[in-house]
Amino acid sequence: MTTLIVIDQAPYGSWAGREALDMVFSLAAFDQPASLLFTGAGVNWLRKSQDASGIGQKTVEKNLSAAPVFGVEQILAEQSACERYRLGEQDRLDGVELIPSVRDTLDRFEHIVFAG
Amino acid sequence: MTQAQPVQATLHILNKSPNHPRFATCLAALHEGDTLALTENAVLALADSNTGLPRNCVALSTDIQARGLAVSTDVQAISYQDLVRLTAEHSRTVSW
Amino acid sequence: MSSGLSYTLVITGAPWSSQAPQTALAFAQELISAGHKIDRVFLYGEGVHLASALSTPPSDEPDWPGRWVDFLAESQTPGIACIASALRRGIVDANEQDRYELGANNLRQPYQIAGLGEWVEGNLKSDRVIYFHGSH
Repeated sequence: MTTLIVIDQAPYGSWAGREALDMVFSLAAFDQPASLLFTGAGVNWLRKSQDASGIGQKTVEKNLSAAPVFGVEQILAEQSACERYRLGEQDRLDGVELIPSVRDTLDRFEHIVFAG
Repeated sequence: MTQAQPVQATLHILNKSPNHPRFATCLAALHEGDTLALTENAVLALADSNTGLPRNCVALSTDIQARGLAVSTDVQAISYQDLVRLTAEHSRTVSW
Repeated sequence: MSSGLSYTLVITGAPWSSQAPQTALAFAQELISAGHKIDRVFLYGEGVHLASALSTPPSDEPDWPGRWVDFLAESQTPGIACIASALRRGIVDANEQDRYELGANNLRQPYQIAGLGEWVEGNLKSDRVIYFHGSH
């Protein structure tokens, strides 16, 4: 029973992305197959060198880098959104797989979940 | 030689207004044979000249009524009871 | 046919910020009428505000938190508020009040506070998991 958690909201301006990450890590903690898909403005979570200390928030770079170790199977990002937000390979966190078609990706999972 | 299995029909429940980014993502994710159920602000698509809706599209009548929209001939107006039935009939539902 | 299914309902939209509690309640009532079972209602993110004992809408507006607890009691459906979402938003039960030495608690009966494990269990065991999100 595979689950894909989708994050389409930009980081820091709202908490939906963080609460989505909590969901994927919970699934992994219970040994359930789970992957993450970032689409639209959500791809901005994947940019390197974020420093949110000035706005009183934590970045998720460490969490996302550790995700595979904790059992999250794949970290996927919508290719066209990465292009739109100028997130080239050198700007992106490691371990992110680009996908050309959201629809084809959704087909691969039984449960598709947004946190909000 | 094996053929790829067709993806089982999915029910998509969409409550976002047509100009919300997730509305377009949802529509682009639909397969032929999927059903799209418009609820809450998404029923505004019935009045939106910019949006093309797929064939198997239904919309909650209470939300249509709330917004003073005309019931469309192409989009079936449904009740909450119908929405329940759709979720029971589809083994896969995505709540957008 | 498809009768007697079990559902987990997840509400992530708050009352008066979204229609989520209203749509979810109408859906939940029809679920029971149709002979299905609701394993749990799980409040996540902004949805935890539905469990506040203190929300006091004007008398000429629907009392969504009140209507929801009436439904939970009548249908004997467990209502869970996710602990991480609830605490940061100021929805706490007596246990959390003690643990954090807070001045009061405000979790409306019969909700319980629990972790995301409840949602994972719904994912695993319920026949259907339906989400009611806000619209932003």
